[in-house]
Amino acid sequence: MKKTIIAAFMITAMAAAAAGCGGSGGSSQKTAPAENGSGTASQNSGEASEAPASSGEDSYTIGIGQYAVHGSLDNCREGFLQGLAEEGIEEGKNLTVLYENANGDGSTGTQIISNFLSQDVDMVCAIATPMAQTAYGATKRTDVPVIYTAVTDPVIAQLATEDKMPVGNITGTSDKLPVEEQLQMIRQILPDAKTIGIMYSTGEVNSQSTLEEYKEAAPEYGFEIVESGVSGAADIPLAADNLLSQVDCLNNLTDNTVVSSLPIILDKSEDKGIPVFGSEIEQVRIGCLASMGLDYIELGKQTGHMAAQVLKGEKEASEMPYEIIEEASFYGNSAVAESLGITLPEELTGSAAQMFDSIGESNS
Amino acid sequence: MSILLGILEEGLIYAILALGVYITYSILDFPDLSVDSTFPLGSAVTAALLTAGVPAPAALAAAFLGGVLAGTITGLIHVKLKVVDLLSGIIVMTGLYSINLQIAGGANLAFFGSSTIFENSLTDPLWSSPVGDFTVVIISLIAVVLVKILLDAYLKTRSGYLLRAAGDNDTLVTSLAKDKGTVKIIGLALANGLVALSGSIYCQKQGFFEISTGTGSMVIGLASVIIGTKLFKRISFIKTTTAVIIGSVLYKACIAAAMAVGIFPTHYMKFLTAALFLIILVVSNRSKRKGAA
Repeated sequence: MKKTIIAAFMITAMAAAAAGCGGSGGSSQKTAPAENGSGTASQNSGEASEAPASSGEDSYTIGIGQYAVHGSLDNCREGFLQGLAEEGIEEGKNLTVLYENANGDGSTGTQIISNFLSQDVDMVCAIATPMAQTAYGATKRTDVPVIYTAVTDPVIAQLATEDKMPVGNITGTSDKLPVEEQLQMIRQILPDAKTIGIMYSTGEVNSQSTLEEYKEAAPEYGFEIVESGVSGAADIPLAADNLLSQVDCLNNLTDNTVVSSLPIILDKSEDKGIPVFGSEIEQVRIGCLASMGLDYIELGKQTGHMAAQVLKGEKEASEMPYEIIEEASFYGNSAVAESLGITLPEELTGSAAQMFDSIGESNS
Repeated sequence: MSILLGILEEGLIYAILALGVYITYSILDFPDLSVDSTFPLGSAVTAALLTAGVPAPAALAAAFLGGVLAGTITGLIHVKLKVVDLLSGIIVMTGLYSINLQIAGGANLAFFGSSTIFENSLTDPLWSSPVGDFTVVIISLIAVVLVKILLDAYLKTRSGYLLRAAGDNDTLVTSLAKDKGTVKIIGLALANGLVALSGSIYCQKQGFFEISTGTGSMVIGLASVIIGTKLFKRISFIKTTTAVIIGSVLYKACIAAAMAVGIFPTHYMKFLTAALFLIILVVSNRSKRKGAA
């Protein structure tokens, strides 16, 4: 009896491991530069110890903890390193980067942060809300500053007060979605549409708060929001079928679960000829019609600049309010528009940050 | 140094979960999967109550009672509705996910400002003392030792003996004119109460509730129990409950070591857990066979 029980658990654990490997394996090509975190880090530390001697500058170690594998979050990390580089803090020269991904598992997140602290990092960079909260909790009694990014609402997450000031030695950037601009864009592209379907996972706090914002703002643009909550990736195909039968278009949030399953949703919506709007550039690249979205690389860069100020000792993280990207930019996919028989209005495409003329492969 | 602290903090807090799993897995021989949801249940109850201004000790008690209730339900489903043990746990685990979201009002609830069992006016002097870094370890250790003493004492009572009998030889329970179903329900209730208590302490250390923290709790608990009981099987002066606590710390140490060495990317963590599991089981089975021969 006991042996069969153990066998059952082993299988569960193995399956979980396999799922984990599969999920992140796919993304490894895209994030190649920083993916093999500890590998490059150890190489870099070798170089780092030589370089500063000649330039006479300080060298730094940053631990980057990312909550999940996700196109937007990967872009944040890439942008973060670019932003630091623009300030003269470059990986391989005077910067050692330790990178770990929690793959959506909270208890792994805790271990990642305590591992960073044991390696005496100069700063923790936390990507996404649960990671930022874990980092804050773990560093509260230390003097290690935390810089976060991709936290939708730092106030609700209790990382900042109403006046945007940090609650401790922690600051960063928010990826609050430009909800009004997105609704206005949908109205411009689909003048007759009445209902917008939004799918979100009930396990993600950011999605819920953004959904509330959509529901509040939609009537102003003459839309009704039809929501569908899923509790995991397995629910998505059915939820998509159900939602697609009731709405004129779909709109994505930055929901990790839903975005990871985007290809399935796009496939189903294409069959029905219903457009899907994205929440950022990656989603438009792989087949959403358009998006008034954030450029996560830019968001990462902005975060990198803030981090550089803290590292150089120009400012304390505790005295810097968190920042948001003010401007939303238009991204469109003309190949998708063509297959749906929709013309994207010129006033949008004219000012587009980027237009795609083919449907890219999903890599997350 | 700080890596050691991290291991002790996590290991001791999860030890309470491991003691719960020890009751169901080792004593009752019941593979209770509801643990994956009763751990976050403890966190959710705690986060909701602390946010509402309830004092931390009351939140601990409420979390424990929440776990007891959930365990009772698992037991009732198994005993009264005659559902297979594995499935009873899965049913409660699945259903509780929604309940946890309901209790916390969402997937994530922070309470960094609230006073907890780790951060309050009584522990302030401890934090500022020379051993301030050990505050979490000290408080967790006190909690674990208290739980261990109470559990040992309970297992020596009449009810505790029946619990042990129900796992080893349930006809004995029946022959004593006791209902073995009731004994199982009591065991599951107590076990899940401990698991939720562990979840409560864990989230008080973190400062926030997050729905995803429960994933894999069962495996962590089971690994701790197996490491502890198999390693210290021959050392007779170490009580099994103590062995389980040490097992939990050792398990966290293995994970931390694997991470610090950096050979494996973090997404291999679960795979490493599974491998560690298998090695310990195989090794302990071998030595058993040798002993028999």
